Amino acid sequence: MQILKNKTNFDFIGKRKPAVFISTLVNLAILVGIATVGFNYGVDFAGGTVVELKFNHSISAADVRERAQKGGLHDVSVQNIGSADENAFLLRMGGVTQLTEENAEKAKKAIEALGNMRNVYADLANGIINFRSATPMAAETIKKAVEDSGTGVQEVRILGESQAGAGTDYQVVASGMADKVYSALGAGLEKPDFEQRRVDYVGPQVGKQLRNRGVMALLYSMVAILIYVAFRFDFKFGPGALLAMIHDVIMVAGYYLVSRREFGLTAIAALLTIVGYSVNDTIVIYDRIREDMAKYKGKPLAEVINIAVNDTLGRTILTSGTTALSLIGLLIFGVGEIFDFAMAMLVGILVGTYSSVYIASPLTIWLDERAAAKEARHRDEMPKPA
Amino acid sequence: MDRGWWWKFGMIVAVTLGTLWFLVPSYYSLVVMDRDQRNNLALLQERLPKWAPPAKYRLNLGLDLQGGIHMVMRVDTKTALQKRTERRGQQIATYVADKKLGEVTADTDPEKLQLTLKAKDPATMDAIEKDVLSTFGDFKRISRSGDTLVLAPDETQVNRFREEAVDQAMLVIRRRIDKWGVAEVDVRKLGTDSIQISLPGRSNPEQAKELVGTTAQLEFRMVDDTNPQFFAQMLQTTPAPAGSDITLTDEGGFAQLQSPSREALLEYTKDKVPENRQVVTECIANPMKKNECSSYRTYLLDKAVPLTGESLSGADASVNQMNEPEVNISFDPAGAREFEKLTEAGVGRRMAIVLDDNVHTAPNINEKIGGGRARITMGRMGARTRDEWLGEAQTLALVLKAGALPAPVTVGEIRQVGASLGDELIKKGSLSALVGLGLVVLFMALYYRKAGIIADIALLLNGLLILAGLAFFNATLTLPGIAGFVLTLGIAVDANVLINERIREELGNGKSAKAAVDQGYDRAFWTIFDAHVTALIAGFILFFTGTGPVRGFATTLIVGLLASLFTSIVVTRVIMTYFVHGKNAQTVSV
Repeated sequence: MQILKNKTNFDFIGKRKPAVFISTLVNLAILVGIATVGFNYGVDFAGGTVVELKFNHSISAADVRERAQKGGLHDVSVQNIGSADENAFLLRMGGVTQLTEENAEKAKKAIEALGNMRNVYADLANGIINFRSATPMAAETIKKAVEDSGTGVQEVRILGESQAGAGTDYQVVASGMADKVYSALGAGLEKPDFEQRRVDYVGPQVGKQLRNRGVMALLYSMVAILIYVAFRFDFKFGPGALLAMIHDVIMVAGYYLVSRREFGLTAIAALLTIVGYSVNDTIVIYDRIREDMAKYKGKPLAEVINIAVNDTLGRTILTSGTTALSLIGLLIFGVGEIFDFAMAMLVGILVGTYSSVYIASPLTIWLDERAAAKEARHRDEMPKPA
Repeated sequence: MDRGWWWKFGMIVAVTLGTLWFLVPSYYSLVVMDRDQRNNLALLQERLPKWAPPAKYRLNLGLDLQGGIHMVMRVDTKTALQKRTERRGQQIATYVADKKLGEVTADTDPEKLQLTLKAKDPATMDAIEKDVLSTFGDFKRISRSGDTLVLAPDETQVNRFREEAVDQAMLVIRRRIDKWGVAEVDVRKLGTDSIQISLPGRSNPEQAKELVGTTAQLEFRMVDDTNPQFFAQMLQTTPAPAGSDITLTDEGGFAQLQSPSREALLEYTKDKVPENRQVVTECIANPMKKNECSSYRTYLLDKAVPLTGESLSGADASVNQMNEPEVNISFDPAGAREFEKLTEAGVGRRMAIVLDDNVHTAPNINEKIGGGRARITMGRMGARTRDEWLGEAQTLALVLKAGALPAPVTVGEIRQVGASLGDELIKKGSLSALVGLGLVVLFMALYYRKAGIIADIALLLNGLLILAGLAFFNATLTLPGIAGFVLTLGIAVDANVLINERIREELGNGKSAKAAVDQGYDRAFWTIFDAHVTALIAGFILFFTGTGPVRGFATTLIVGLLASLFTSIVVTRVIMTYFVHGKNAQTVSV
């Protein structure tokens, strides 16, 4: 069996200018979109709480939302996952602990109302309120006061008498949002009619660290790959491979931007895989270009590239095709993150194949022409007018 | 066939058999054994045939696949530092008064962690500043204006304190989880002030949070030594149940029961002690692994808890004039009074220091101790070196501080996957991987015929190699790992496509079958090599910078790419050569 019976002779390179133009436009649009609209950051990066619930009877997402709102959860998003008869839902909330700026104010007031308090200060990142009381207090009293103000309390810690002798130090640890979900949805029920299947719970600081590490990983690998390509191939191939890589990463980021799919650690993994795939594809084509350059000495580079791309066209279609084929299982049966990953990969394979021809090669041609022009200038010892 | 070919063929057969052999423990743990036994390494070892590799080389399933809890606890070093600074402030104020340098008040800024000293008489400030800064070397000057001096703790001191606080929290968490009896638990430091905990098979995050997140409970309780042979008599009256592994030991004339299982000890002694007494165990540390208990032994304690860690105000390890390590502890005023009363009544008896229901040590009370300061002199040096001995004193100080100066831990991150969801994901994940793989295998065989089937054989070996490689590195298979698995197979297919396309091209150029195969492989080699190496670079960087699921993905990618290099370049070539050279075929079926 053979896909392309005869040698093809499409003029790929000839259409490079409009292609580069359109690609640049799309890339810029995505970058602007990321800067203005931003990703739909997952819990991994944004911090917050995700709770997955499975009900033991049929219920709609709207009903779940209504119940959550009745229970006092206002900023919760409810999303149906799996097939409708699974009755499984993903509930997402911004905070990790119940201590928001607004809640903390109320809780602080409630604590101050208990008597002679000093140094009441809320540590929002950790969900803790610290304070010093002039007179010793019972943990129960403190707990009740804070809970009455609308914040769930996990624990009241007595840190002991302060050294200055000005009273006793206490610490109120707010409970997590998952507790709140559980109690809000179970309110009024004798026994909850749902099972808590998954809780993801990432503090904003942890999230920020994860995101920075992820982005750094992306940059590091790009640089490392660039160095490798520059060593293995001519210098003029390096920038092309890098540009194609950046192009592909931006395009796949565009998928996450436009589809509003959750951008989390798996998305970073997908982007990194694309970096690998993109370079893989670019290198295969470069390899052929290099070979053909030796074979067709004297021909202009653009023409050589055209021959190389045509020669490898069968392979390119096959490879993209089989890799896409291996993703089909993931696309059909994959759930959640796995599906997103497969989808991002599919986008990546398409743009990765495209960019080897229309992004990497034109830059190589341009660098080659520039080098030639420079050489010519040197020969004539006459600066050409710009 | 020449000799070189046979060598290669032999190597491939050996690798294949080795791979299958290496997958035996994984097969037992994932297929043969029940789900809830999956994490029980000892049981797996028992079940494995004699000839199989050790049980530890089995494929771990990530928490996302088998269900369980992953938590990151943040140690609130800020609060601890704030308390420490405050305590220093009081010490400085007392010092200044004692030395008759003047009179200062100390105030701590809870957010900046700075200490502000205010002198009653501004004229004394110069002398105070000089003296205080030379005596309290762990503080440095920030600013000074007239009667006000602002100090901040020295950076290196702060860092050491932070580190200590995290170590202390880790110690406590480890002990607590051990008590819970979770197999394969993993507790490790993450960054500077976080602790990462994995609890496979556990499904209640609230319980986990409570277990790990609450402040350590430190208690001082009296040991009932009225009958030193109490436990010996118990064992005489009622023999220990078979298999419980309970033995009798002697600690300085006091009989104790010892067993590798804490539960067995508690179960056996249950209902056999007087109403107002309680059996509490001590952990005997495993000499090989610092944070694990090799066995436990019993103490008979008073049920009453006269004093808790809340009364403690400090604990430090030092070496006394006799060159013995000791731990100095101090109590707050109320605690000091209680401690005095307790020691007065208990001279000659032992006092157990109990942290989270675990006897840490039970020193003898030599005399009544007043003034709120006490020394615990470390016991006989025995076979231990001085460093180990001092280390033990430091650990005790840490433990005491854990109760006294809580650097509270808070939840930074919890991820929980219910066991049922885990199973569902595993089914769907493997199903999607199998479907993907099946489609590719089918396509290759249809498209390249014989060469396609050869590629398919290589592909299957590749898959087995990845699994065996993951088992060998003790890596954990996660959901993104499965995605990585599929992707690597895709890249391996690409390599085979490259080779076969080249062979077709060479055939098209009119080359003989032999020449076409040889040229095809030679020409495709560098392309494949470059393509794999670049992907490997991405994989390694991902591995070293990533965490959690990303790391799992990277591990699979790295192992998979290495396997793919081997299978697509070596394995397929050897088989292909067999057909072309060995059978002397004139055509190649590609």
